[in-house]
Amino acid sequence: MSEFFHQYFDFNYMGEHFWEVLEAFLQNLLIFAVVAVLALTWGLILALLRQLPGKKFMPVRFFTIAYIDLFRAIPILIVILLISGGIPFLEFIPKEIRIPHWFGKPDPFWYGTAALMLVYGAFTAEVYRAGIEAVPGGQMEAARSLGMSHWQAMRHVVVPQAVTLIPAPMLNEMISLLKDSTLVSVIAFAESVLISRELLAESFNSSALLLTGFFFIVIILPLARIVDKLIARNQGKITRGSHIEVA
Amino acid sequence: MRKTRLTAFFAVLLLAVVSVVVIGCGGGSDSTTGGGGSETSAGGGGEPLTVGSDIPYPPFEQGKPGSYTGFDVELMEAIAEKIGRTAEFQDTSFETIFRDLAQGKFEAVISAATITQEREQAVDFSNPYYLSEQAVLVKEGSDVKSLEDLEGKTVAVQQGTTGQELAKEELGGSEIRPYPEGPDAINALKAGTVEGVIIDAPVAQNAVEKSGGVEIAEKVSTNEDYGIAVAQGETELLKEINDALQEVKDDGTYTKIYKKWFHAEPPKEIFTANHEPE
Repeated sequence: MSEFFHQYFDFNYMGEHFWEVLEAFLQNLLIFAVVAVLALTWGLILALLRQLPGKKFMPVRFFTIAYIDLFRAIPILIVILLISGGIPFLEFIPKEIRIPHWFGKPDPFWYGTAALMLVYGAFTAEVYRAGIEAVPGGQMEAARSLGMSHWQAMRHVVVPQAVTLIPAPMLNEMISLLKDSTLVSVIAFAESVLISRELLAESFNSSALLLTGFFFIVIILPLARIVDKLIARNQGKITRGSHIEVA
Repeated sequence: MRKTRLTAFFAVLLLAVVSVVVIGCGGGSDSTTGGGGSETSAGGGGEPLTVGSDIPYPPFEQGKPGSYTGFDVELMEAIAEKIGRTAEFQDTSFETIFRDLAQGKFEAVISAATITQEREQAVDFSNPYYLSEQAVLVKEGSDVKSLEDLEGKTVAVQQGTTGQELAKEELGGSEIRPYPEGPDAINALKAGTVEGVIIDAPVAQNAVEKSGGVEIAEKVSTNEDYGIAVAQGETELLKEINDALQEVKDDGTYTKIYKKWFHAEPPKEIFTANHEPE
């Protein structure tokens, strides 16, 4: 039992390596921030493409749905390994893009963010879609009858109402994204899990992993409470009738 | 609203039921048939000897669960046979392997593990069963001809290995990338995202033969002896392993296994190599 506590709850050891692990955890936050911006944008584009009306946009809808299905089905770990192991071999791509070192970040960082963006773009697209589809169909019809085009109706009527519905599920996705940023450790990017495991290999003590877990809890628990609040607020709106206030 | 929730609930339920059924079919046999269906690898019968190893690490350990093979695996099976037990391998991750051994998850570790003072604070090692070198693995036609040439360049290693220690000591100005598994590091070299890999010489040799496109620029002797590890205080088991290892060395089994995996005669020093646990 004391061996167990020494192995995982060695507070002296945590104190000694606190800054080292925190610095590595900031790398997780950085991955998260970059991917969040990219995936939220990419997801909105996908969601809008998926809503395009009419027969001529059939192929666009088809490919968007195929993309979303595909990336929701493949484990992220596989996407990360495939991108980091595969892209560098594509010699027709210029080397600066194939093996990127942008903004002083090593290539594993960019392979990781690319993989997470591709996958989380698909997930966020589904959240956007749920929001858009929750806006009563009459809103779109009314806007169109006033002479707006599909895009105008989307931009001015449907999407503004949809975004008030999605913060809760979207925050859930973002929480998963922050946690999944640790997967980039498999391609040797020095984020918190990799650094904790380095410390483990050096000292045979696992406490750094627990410290890393603690950092995640500190960031994620408040976010989870916000999700609860938002869900409660949305429930209120729905029970008051299907009228949705535009924030 | 209610209906969709109900549908979602049943969808999740269905998924759960299907996974339980699938998992149940796979693992259910030994729980229902009792002792009948336990898995054993080839060996000398008797009580199983559980052995931890980080697989794959060709040519030392490779293969799929149930049919592991490699130099370490065959040597351990031969040793277990001499003791009158059957080696049962458990795949585990290298950086936790000694901790898990100390915690009793398995009785012994054979995993191309170098005997180091640091590790001996956690576990006890047998006499050396292999004398190792580190290799600097580079892409074919690379400008890198030696370890020093890697200074300032991006270098891949396997996490928790002596190759990583060597890189840290000798290449202060390089970016060192610790990959969880050796093959990932070699793949990064082939992909061109790193300029060199520092890894155990036989692993590098195996990569040169099997994968191609890479070559060994330099071999660096690091006075590394591989040993079989047991938990501290397991003096009886350690003695049994040491005696069996010597027998295997003396009766020619060792040479046979060595030749099979390394295509060369074993060095003479190995037959008399001794190690005193601290």
